Order: sequence, then structure tokens, then C-alpha cells
Amino acid sequence: MTSLYIHIPFCKRKCNYCDFVSYAGKETLIDQYVDALINELHHLLTTNYLPLSTVYFGGGTPTMLESRHFAKILGLLTTHNSPLSTIEVSVEANPGTADKAKLKELRKLGINRLSIGIQSFNKRHLRTLGRIHTSSEAIRFYHDARSAGFDNINLDLIFALPGQTLDEWKKDLETAIDLMPNHLSAYNLQIEEGTPFHLQKLNLPSEDIELKMYEYAIETLMASGYKHYEISNFAKPGFECKHNINYWKNGNYLGIGAGAHSHVSGKRWANPDSVESYIGCGGGYVSNIDNRFSTNDTVTENDKRESIFMGLRLLKGLSVDNFQGFEKELAELIESGLLMRENSHAKLTRKGLYLANEVFEKFV
Amino acid sequence: MPEKIRNFSIIAHIDHGKSTLADRMLEYTGTVEKREMREQILDTMELERERGITIKAQAIRMQYKDHILNLIDTPGHVDFSYEVSRSLAACEGALLLIDATQGIEAQTLANAHLAKQNDLVIIPVINKIDLPAAEPERIAEELKNVFGMEEKDIILASAKEGTGVDEILESIIKRIPPPEGKMDSPLQALIFDSHYDPFRGVIAYIRVVNGKIRSGMNIHLMGTKGNFEAQEVGTLRLGLIPREKLSAGEVGYLIAGIKDVKECRVGDTVTDTDTPAPHPLPGYRPIKPMVFCGFYPLAGEEYENLKDAVSKLQLNDAALYFEPETSAALGYGLRCGFLGLLHLEIVQERLEREFKLNIIATAPNVIYKVNLTNKRSLSVDNPTKMPAAAEIDSVEEPYLKLTIFTPADYVGAVMSVTTDKRGNFLNIEYLDPKRVMMTFEIPLSEVISEYHDQLKSVTRGYASMDYELIGYRKSDLVKMDILLNQEPVDALSTIVHRDYAYPRGKRLVERLKEVIPRHQFVIPVQASIGAKVIARENISAIKKNVLQKCYGGDVTRKRKLLEKQKAGKKRMKRIGKVDVPQEAFLAVLRLGK
Repeated sequence: MTSLYIHIPFCKRKCNYCDFVSYAGKETLIDQYVDALINELHHLLTTNYLPLSTVYFGGGTPTMLESRHFAKILGLLTTHNSPLSTIEVSVEANPGTADKAKLKELRKLGINRLSIGIQSFNKRHLRTLGRIHTSSEAIRFYHDARSAGFDNINLDLIFALPGQTLDEWKKDLETAIDLMPNHLSAYNLQIEEGTPFHLQKLNLPSEDIELKMYEYAIETLMASGYKHYEISNFAKPGFECKHNINYWKNGNYLGIGAGAHSHVSGKRWANPDSVESYIGCGGGYVSNIDNRFSTNDTVTENDKRESIFMGLRLLKGLSVDNFQGFEKELAELIESGLLMRENSHAKLTRKGLYLANEVFEKFV
Repeated sequence: MPEKIRNFSIIAHIDHGKSTLADRMLEYTGTVEKREMREQILDTMELERERGITIKAQAIRMQYKDHILNLIDTPGHVDFSYEVSRSLAACEGALLLIDATQGIEAQTLANAHLAKQNDLVIIPVINKIDLPAAEPERIAEELKNVFGMEEKDIILASAKEGTGVDEILESIIKRIPPPEGKMDSPLQALIFDSHYDPFRGVIAYIRVVNGKIRSGMNIHLMGTKGNFEAQEVGTLRLGLIPREKLSAGEVGYLIAGIKDVKECRVGDTVTDTDTPAPHPLPGYRPIKPMVFCGFYPLAGEEYENLKDAVSKLQLNDAALYFEPETSAALGYGLRCGFLGLLHLEIVQERLEREFKLNIIATAPNVIYKVNLTNKRSLSVDNPTKMPAAAEIDSVEEPYLKLTIFTPADYVGAVMSVTTDKRGNFLNIEYLDPKRVMMTFEIPLSEVISEYHDQLKSVTRGYASMDYELIGYRKSDLVKMDILLNQEPVDALSTIVHRDYAYPRGKRLVERLKEVIPRHQFVIPVQASIGAKVIARENISAIKKNVLQKCYGGDVTRKRKLLEKQKAGKKRMKRIGKVDVPQEAFLAVLRLGK
């Protein structure tokens, strides 16, 4: 079983914190880009990595694509794969990039999960982040998605924004909970090199406040019936994101499109970031991929380590069998109160959750 | 024919153009073909080229007209002043090279005085006259005021453009006397430097003062009492040119199966075992290290490698001293002794660069003389060896006479930065209306901390300094300990003056708080004298360190971030439960103001 990630590197405008592969002002390339995606996908689907277990359109802003583009891609998938209705098909969406009619079309095409980039409901913070939408547009977008038939919706929120107070974060979180999404991701803002935020002098909340914001999110969401199943992710029972869980379990996934990452049988590779060169070669990184497929399937040492530090992101942890060769690290981390054992699993303690990097570091 | 020989050296401050002038002379005399020429041809060590200083002395023989000119290149730093004095002792004359845009600097003056003491003829050369900022008249005025030079004797030159090089070569022949020396007397040859060659053993650079040295001769080193057979003697071009013998007045090399530079000390006298000279040449003294510090490998298992590396450097560096020592905090390491701070830095840099070792150097200290209440006395080269306060009657520390040359504008700043370091002002003299010479007495321990950096910074790099040891003096000194997480860290202990202990202790714990990363627990950092805590800071606990989203399955990036975090910790030394970076040990040295 393999997950499929499809990268859509287009945005109306680039947010001030964003350092993913995404470009504003290249919309005219969308048609050609989708053709290139079809090429790459076509090649992959003739290999033996079917059936697909999940499909995920990430960005960028995937909803910059027209319905007809989705129709093309999903049509190709349907002809090769089992019906899409049986698997999770997610699309990341930003408010202001699709109206109700378009959302209906997307739902009809087989997309059954929507992940909406809300980030904040606060006018000031939305502006600081460089988002293109207002708070009320975001809320309307959510309701449109509901009425378009989406019954599995995630909202992305970011906390520890420049100048954000604990009360402001509480308000954002409560607004989100009132909408009753099926899933909620709460990310701590990270300042990445090369972003406008990195160049600015930002008045970021102290570590104490960050921690309080995170604790508050965990407690409030749990009290509202969400399960805290990964460091930054919360879901109503049964609505955990299968695609992301596959990443954390270090499963197989294929990434197509510019800058997309793949992991198959312990091997990782990534496509180059440039949209133009991706189009230029018609999505044709395929010959390389064939070679990667043919190499042996032994689990490398790196892969084993990655399985541990990715797997520990899940709150239920992972089986202690994975710690072969790392017994000493495991014992020390349990001793220092960062990890605990529960039956056959090792998992982060509450303290370990806050200091997860100190734990993961032992396994790189 | 000694009357056709001229032995000379070049006295110059860093960057005043010594290497360039040497390069030009080698070219003009045809010693080095143009195509073989590269810049700073005499500075062979990479570090020498980078720092623009000469660490090892070198000698080269040139043919000019019917004369033989031996250029003996001297080290250019106060740490190596004894070596300079021996190089000068091998010469009859010296070029005094002054930068036309700068003027006389402190070490230039000190070295010129050394040359005078050795009765050398001094030829003043004002270099870099091609530069727009050149002020040859002002420099000439300084030369008159400071050395009593006459205008007509001063040569104006631009080594870069070749101006004045002919005049310099002519003056060497005309003004510097040929070596005196008796061919028929018993052999006396001065060792002015040596280096270790892995294939041939020690190669000693010598100046034959009296008599002759031949290959095959049995020789005796009068200072170290070593006996050897001279396997090969010869002269120095860019390589070694073997000759049957070297006679009085000549400069060359000697290879005698000497395995260690320690047996072949700079300043020692080589004589003939069979007909020895009645007494050695004057001026020999064994080298004593002045500055000590501990070197510890970051990873304990590197200790043997560190010891091997230091032993290898020692083969070529008779002034480098070491012995094993153990620190409760840092484990196995070496206590090393150096001529001065530059010498220390060079050794440390070579260990890191040439031997790829990751080491922690503890703060350097001097040798203290401790007079005990039981009337005995001790030499203490490591703060951890300081006896308990109750056993100490008094402590003495080495003092220097410090000479500073600075533009007159900075007199106030120099005064305050020097008296802050326990310097006593002695005198001020005007060299010309714009520049002054200031003299102080100051403890060596203050000069080896951050004094030089501070002096440079308050004078915008314009001041230069030189010093000489003037003896030991009693001071009210105490040992200050540092406790990390309640545990004393012996390697962070220092000896400080009691009156300065509080501000120093406070600054030090503040600095340590800055450089030691936060841990998962609160770490108290304390400075104490005896049982009394004089300063304290807390390093707060790290509460949150979580990586966020994994974008589109990009695990590699996440791994890189974690690797970076981990690598940061690897460069630290774990002391108790605390990871301490190398900078913490530097903090002791560089407290800032």
C-alpha cells in the first residue's frame, strides 16, 4: 500500500512565514504543470505500487487549480486504482480560492477531505502573516465546504504569532472549535530561513507563553472531544488523517510534482523545486525513479532511526521492537522522564511532548 | 673570505613590508628566478602567511656583486624576543624597516635596542613611500628623535615597486662591516634556530663565530652538553647546499643526527669536541615558558592523539612544554607551557588545523610563587594547585615593564584601559608632536588575558606594545572557583586580585550564563572564593523544543534540523550533567568590560 502526494506549487501570494515550494504569479503555468503531473502520474501508475491507500493534494494552494484540472488527475487515478470513494482523498484549500460551486464540483470528483488553511481569525495577525483572506471569509468558506458536502474537514491554526497574546490564541481556538471541524491542526509558528519573517525583527511570545498556548490547546481540544493523536494534530474519533499517519509511521509514499518527496522501501528522494524545469521535462523524473525502484529493499540504518523519531510524534508511540539497537537511549529517556512505556509501546510523556526534539535528537 | 661576507637581518613591525623587501632582494640578487618567485617566500608555514608574521627564523644566502649576503630573518613577535636576540647576535648589521604611513612601533624599538646592544650597524629604511598616505618626513623626524639617526643615512624605498632596493643592497656592503672572527681559534658557532626534519633529524641554523666546522667533525654543544658528529654542513639558498666546511663569519646549517630540538637549543654554542673553545658564546639561556594552560580533548578517547600531536609539535618547538594532567571536570589532558599568548594560540590552532583535534583550552595563567606559612615556597602553574588560603603567607606574580606606542589622541584611553588592568603608569614621552611612548608596570597575568585586544580596540588598532619581564612582586591574590550546578569545575578556576574579584566573578557568571545552553533543568552558576559565594546566576530550564509540521513528507529536512541540534551538543564537554561549550573556557579569558 502506498500513499500518493501531489504538490501544487501555486499561490495567489506567498505568506510571510512560508518556505515551502510555492510561487505567486505563475498561474499561467498551471495548465502545463497539470499536463506534466499527468505524465509523471501515468508512468507511476503502470508500476506495481498500486493500490494507493491515500491521495493528498498539498501546496502551495491546490485550490488554485480549476475543477477541470482535478478532473483530469482524479480521472486518471480512477482508471488505474480502486474507486476513490473507498480511500482518503484530501485537498488543502485556502479561503478565497474557491466558491461554493467549485467546492461542490470538487466533492463530486471524489475529494472527500478538505484541509483549510485558517491560521488565525484575528484581523491583525492575518495581516502580519500575509494571508489573502479575512476572518469572515474564512468562516464563510468553511460553511460553503460543509454545504458542498464535505463531511471531513480539517482547520489549520498557527499559534505563537508575532505580538500574539494568550487570550488572542484562546479566542482563535474557541472560534475554530465552535465551527465543529472534524480535525484540527495547531502549529507553533516557526521562523524559517529565507522567509520575510526571518529578516524581520519580530516580537515573538516568550517560551513560557508558547508553552501555555500549547498546553491550553491540548486541554481545550481534549475537553471538546478531540483526540490528541500527534504532536500538533487533533481529531474527532475516526477522523485522524490517514495520509499523515502514513508519514509518521514511515510508510511508503510517492510524491509527484515540483519539490515533492517520496519514500519507498527505505529510500527517499525528491523532485527539484523549479516549476519550469518540472514542466520542461514533462514531469519526467521517471527514468530515475525506475532505478530507485529496482534497488534492494533492505531497511537502512537511517530508515530505522527515522521510523523511531517520526513514530514518536504519534501520541500512542510505537512498538518497542523498533528500538532494537537503541536500548540504551530508550532507557535513558525513560529514566529522564521524557519517554514512558505503555504495554508494548514507548511513547512521549507530557514533558517529552514539550521537549520532543531533545528526544528525537538521540535517534538521528 | 670573511671581508666579502655581510650578515644582516631585517627589523620591522608586522605589515611594514619585511617579507616583500626580502622577496625583492632575492629577486635582485638572482637568488630566486622570477618564475620560482611567490610572495613571502621565506614564510613557509601556512599560519605564517595567514597571520603575516614569521614564527621560525630563516636564513638565506645571496650573492651580490662579489659579496655574500646572509639574510637572517627574525621572528616578529614579543613572545619570541629571545629568538630575535639570538638571530641578531648572528649578524653585524640590521635593516630597520619602517612603514612610511605608520611610524615606529613598540616592538621595532625594542628590537632596534636589542640590535644596538649587539653592536649591530643599523640602516634605517622608510618603506612604502609609494603610498598616497606616506609621510616620509614625519617618519624621518621620528627616526632622528628616537634613535638619533641622521637624515643622510635614511633610505627611502618601496619594496613593492622595487624603489630603493639597489641602494639598500649597496648600503649593506658599504655600511655593514664584514664579520670578525679568528679562523684559527677553536670552533665557536652560534645556534640561532633549528627545525626538525622527519628524514634528517634536527637541522640547526648556525653562525660560525670563530674557527671552522667540517663535516665529519665531532662536535659538542656547550649548553646542553650534547656530543654529536657533524654529518653535513652547508649553506642555505632556498634549500640546503652541502659544503665541506663553514668558516668563521659564515652562516649555514648543521646536521648531526640530533633527534630532538630540545637537545639543540637556540643560543647554544657548537664547538669542536677535540679542541673545545674555553668558554661558550655569551647570551645563552634555557627557555622558560611564561604562560600555561590546559589542553583537553573534547572526546576523552582523543587523549592519546592529543598527546602524540603535541609531542610532534614539540619536535620542532623547543619552547613548548607539556606534562599530563587530570582535571576532575575535563578528564585527562595536558598542561602546556608557552612563551606567550601568541605562541599558545599558534599551537592550539595547529592542533586543530593540522591534527584535526577538537580541544578545550583552559584560561591561560602565569607561574605564581606562593610563600607558605611554614616558610617553604611553591611554584604554582595551575590555579587548581593553589594551596588553601590558611596555608598561604603571601603570593608573588610576574610583573612586566610595558611599552606602548600610540597616537597622542589616545593617551587617556590607553591610561584608563591599562590602569584598569592593574597597570602602574611610569612615564610618557613624545616621539613627535603626534605620537607618544608610554611605559607602565603591569602584572603579566593581566596582559595575557584580554589586554591586547582592549588596547587595540581603544586605539582603533593604532597602538603597539612590547614588554619585558622585570621580576616577581607580592600581590593580594586569591583563587576564584566556579560552580556549575553546585559542582566546582576545576578547569574554570582562576587566580584574581582580591580587589577585582567581585566584578570579575559577576562578569564571569554572566558570560557563562550566555554561553552555556539551557538544559532541561535549572543550572545555578556561582563564583566563589573559598566557601563564600560572591556571584550567582541561574540558567533557566528549557521548557519547550518541538519541531512542527512535516511538509509533504520531507523527513530529510527534519532530520537535518535535528542533526544540527545534535552536532551543536557534540562540540560540548559534558561536566556532571551539564554540556559546556568551548566558549565557556574562553569566557574566563575574555570578560569584556
